[in-house]
Amino acid sequence: MATTMPTYRLEVTHLTKSYGDATVVDDLTFTVPPGRVTGFLGPNGSGKSTTLKIMLGLASPTTGHATISGHRYKDLANPAQTVGAIIESDAFHPGRSGRNHLRILADATGCSYTRVDEMLDEVGLGSAANRRAGAYSLGMRQRLGLAAAMLGEPPVLILDEPGNGLDPQGIHTLRDVLRGHAARGGTVLVSSHLLAEVEHLADDVIVINDGRLVAHGALAELQNSAALVRTTDPGLLATQLEQAGALTESQGTDGLVVRGMSLTEIGERAFASGFVLHELSSHAGSLEQLFLSWTGATPDDRDHTS
Amino acid sequence: MKQLIRSELRKLTTTNMPWAFLGALFAIAAINAFAVIAATDFDGSKTFISTEVDQQSLVAFAANGFVLASLFGAIAVAREYGHHTVVPTFLAAPRRHRAVLAQVSAVAVGGAVLSMVGAGLTVSAVAISLPTTEYGFLISAGHVVQIVAASAFAGAAGAVFGAGIGAVVRNVGGAVTGVVLMLIVAPPLIVQLANSTASWMPNSLALVLAGVTTDVSDPAAVAALSAWALVPAGIGLVAVQRRDVI
Repeated sequence: MATTMPTYRLEVTHLTKSYGDATVVDDLTFTVPPGRVTGFLGPNGSGKSTTLKIMLGLASPTTGHATISGHRYKDLANPAQTVGAIIESDAFHPGRSGRNHLRILADATGCSYTRVDEMLDEVGLGSAANRRAGAYSLGMRQRLGLAAAMLGEPPVLILDEPGNGLDPQGIHTLRDVLRGHAARGGTVLVSSHLLAEVEHLADDVIVINDGRLVAHGALAELQNSAALVRTTDPGLLATQLEQAGALTESQGTDGLVVRGMSLTEIGERAFASGFVLHELSSHAGSLEQLFLSWTGATPDDRDHTS
Repeated sequence: MKQLIRSELRKLTTTNMPWAFLGALFAIAAINAFAVIAATDFDGSKTFISTEVDQQSLVAFAANGFVLASLFGAIAVAREYGHHTVVPTFLAAPRRHRAVLAQVSAVAVGGAVLSMVGAGLTVSAVAISLPTTEYGFLISAGHVVQIVAASAFAGAAGAVFGAGIGAVVRNVGGAVTGVVLMLIVAPPLIVQLANSTASWMPNSLALVLAGVTTDVSDPAAVAALSAWALVPAGIGLVAVQRRDVI
């Protein structure tokens, strides 16, 4: 039976960060519960990394705050044994071995060298532990980062793009590690641009665009929150529904995917306007479709989400 | 704090940087040995090594130690930002003054050791090469100890000075340039403008501590060299605490 760990809730409250006239995080509020994997999504430059850095005390907010079960990161009794983080995938000296990199962190955080060797084996770097980290592949560097994040056996993991550069086996291992961590009561917040991977990994998602929150909730509920409408004039119906605050997306010649409006309201508005509906049903969309509708990105932008 | 200092010391000893500096120390010692063996005064004699004071002046490593250790400290700290290793450091010690103090303590130890080794190598090289001349090794044991101790202090101070520059500049090239400008380019220009400042430049202060000159008293030299180290370190500490890690 898996052992459980202390539970921590991450809370971001009205967080704003400005650099001069540029506001990169704008009144952001969300929570990340323990026992679940939460995906943190947004296009490039949407403010994800800045938000994570503020949560970890690496950047200071202009207004608002980010806490870990009510405490700022720097006020935690033993921060590195409470929160494990990957912020920069190449946060090591290229001339230093992977083992020495972890031993330096072990010295700073009070972990044993035995734990260092355990983590090297766990992420599959045992045989490469004495090689210069600068000679590691991108996937090996990510695994070294994951080993560093988990060195102090922290209940909270905050990971910025941990899947970058991992091969399918590495992705699978990462997924198992993070889901296992959440299953034992751990709190996991993962920023990623690999939407298909997040779809397999995350229980909840937080989506931001231009520093603002655009979606937050259980992934399964969000995916089922859309409606499929088939009618004779989908373009005109789309215009009317958008004027009422819904998001729409055409589906084939007569179809319309509608988000942000209940089935009942769609049906009543269509009836009031005299539309003949051939279908009105719940529509489960892929995370990619949802992401594009939330962020207003075009399909050509998909490769630039991070 | 002890854990953080241990971590910082391990950072200094797990790359090739100490070996590069050790190479520089051997080169300086070799140049001194070559000077003893091959160099002469204008009249062709070797009077520049004929007295204890002359020999002490030749092997007084403290001035070189301050400059070399400054480069050591500047590179050690600035590379933390270049390689982003400052991120895990600040995650382990989010109250950054603790991380900075640990880093400064570690580079001070490193700078002192490097400078002491430099002094030891230089004294040894000169002692080994003197038999090729008509003069023997004239420096007393007490003065050798003073030379090594002065080198250790100057090395520690230099490393702290460099660490401050590195923390402010956060770029290895920029930090090295800053050290060169502040210790090699600027002092002669300042002395030209205000001759009375000559005694207070790091080079002069280090020579006082090594027993070569008596421009100022030993306590004044210690205080002034400490100020040279602590002012940039203090500015670096404030900058590190105020800035975001981007």
